Amino acid sequence: MRKQPAFWRTLRFLFLGFFVLISIGPLLWIVMSSFKTNREILSSAFAPPTSFSFSGYEAALDLAPIFQFYGNSVIISVLSTLLNVIVVSMAAYVLARHKFRGSNFITLLLSVSLLIPTAALLMPIYKIMMTIGLFDTRTGLILVYAALGLPTSLFIFKSHFQSIPKELEDAAYIDGAGFFRTFFVVVFPLARSGLATGAILQFLTSWNEFMFALILTKSTKVRTLPLALNYFTSQFSFNYTAMFAALTMVILPSIIIYVLLQEQITTSMVEGSVKG
Amino acid sequence: MKVKKWKLAVFLLPCLLLFALIYLIPLCMVFGSSFFEWRSGGVFRFVGLGNYMQAFLHDTRMHAAIVNTIIWVLLQSIVHVGIGTVIAFMLSRKLRGWKVLRTIYMIPNVISAAALGVIFLNVFNPKYGLINSAISQITGSAFEKNWFFEQSSAFMTVTWSWLLYTGMIIILVLAGILAIPGDLVEAARIDGASEMEINFKVRLPLIRTILGTSVILAATSMLREFELIYLTTNGGPGETTLNLPLYLYKTSMTDNNYGYANMMGVVLILAGILTVYAINRLFRMNEADY
Repeated sequence: MRKQPAFWRTLRFLFLGFFVLISIGPLLWIVMSSFKTNREILSSAFAPPTSFSFSGYEAALDLAPIFQFYGNSVIISVLSTLLNVIVVSMAAYVLARHKFRGSNFITLLLSVSLLIPTAALLMPIYKIMMTIGLFDTRTGLILVYAALGLPTSLFIFKSHFQSIPKELEDAAYIDGAGFFRTFFVVVFPLARSGLATGAILQFLTSWNEFMFALILTKSTKVRTLPLALNYFTSQFSFNYTAMFAALTMVILPSIIIYVLLQEQITTSMVEGSVKG
Repeated sequence: MKVKKWKLAVFLLPCLLLFALIYLIPLCMVFGSSFFEWRSGGVFRFVGLGNYMQAFLHDTRMHAAIVNTIIWVLLQSIVHVGIGTVIAFMLSRKLRGWKVLRTIYMIPNVISAAALGVIFLNVFNPKYGLINSAISQITGSAFEKNWFFEQSSAFMTVTWSWLLYTGMIIILVLAGILAIPGDLVEAARIDGASEMEINFKVRLPLIRTILGTSVILAATSMLREFELIYLTTNGGPGETTLNLPLYLYKTSMTDNNYGYANMMGVVLILAGILTVYAINRLFRMNEADY
């Protein structure tokens, strides 16, 4: 590749540098400030903490049941991911492999959900959850989240099932395996990279979701981590250290998991958007 | 291999039930009740197009919400995707550290939008925020602009919280560029094309469908945007930063005006379909290149 003139290289450096600054600058500032005292935060935004104190973290954990929120987020995200993968993969398998009258219509119907801005369904979903007694329960959120990822998962799973050679399934049938066994023992393991892609996207969606968690829950026993923040802004109005500590505790796990799994997550995101 | 019908049905049923519960029944409720006046306390009567007339002819908050939503959709489709594409092209030269940069740009997109909202609330805080402190430091005199809550700056500040964070677009466009067959670029280079010409005349046209996908993602994300506004300005001051999802939320959850909220739901759904259709046409997404 030819070398570019120095002027362009400088300009590019400044351009890319600006976006690095605004991408992680605020996050580093939050983490740094979480170790400062209230007075230090108010007197200077840039000065590093004079002594590393964890009192902000203690105060944050005192003021809000953050570990409870963590637990709820983990349970709800894991279960909604499992539900989504099992339920959608079964349907995707049938739609990918078996043509019958109405199968195209079902595929079309299910893909309609991709076009709907979910905020539009906010009120009816609230009413339905109230009516069937799942308001303010983890089960309610698990069902809604599993459905939010339905169209994306469907497209990813379907294309992965179609790429599996049909001969492998035929061999399983000849060996005497039934339809259910063939799916769970032969097909499911063969499609695991596709299933993992869908599962990652589904998990991220559930982990970060805010709006439905806000309207479908009201007690701290079932609320998730993103909502904990909503609760902090009012609770900690004057305890800035505790708020910064709470923010750090909320964002750090996501960042660590992303950095560790970034190749897999990046691939999933590309595949999810292109297919979906 | 012929499989019995009931076995197929067993496999399809759970997915169809989930779809019915969360999409199909709500969708019918939204369309149906948008023609009714429906409030808490048992008020339920047919008003025909009454809700729609009220919204489009008289409701100034609705007008503000629609105008803001359209501005944000356009900004996100053009500026957001534009910046992301430029960065992706720079990173595609695979200079030292390009993967690290890609990771850094993505980080604001992987933490929850709720956390991002609260972070920006602090960054733009008038008393101890990062921005005002920096300005005070440079100018040497105290600067106390209340970015999120003053009429003059609220819209711009809210827009900042998503417009410049293009990690997702970078990842998509970068994947598109790196998937271009090397011989096409090589052929252009042998023909004497400069790097700039190759970018504009070879690479850019070849990633057309990925660009279309990126614009669809960016545009429809603005029809869903909720938490970054809810947690910062909550639509204010006045209705300066109100958008359709937030107005819908307030109408149904605060005012308990369900029929009117569902009318907005219909508007949102139609806007979504129209947006996707228009971008599909614009980028000729269904045609193959080679």
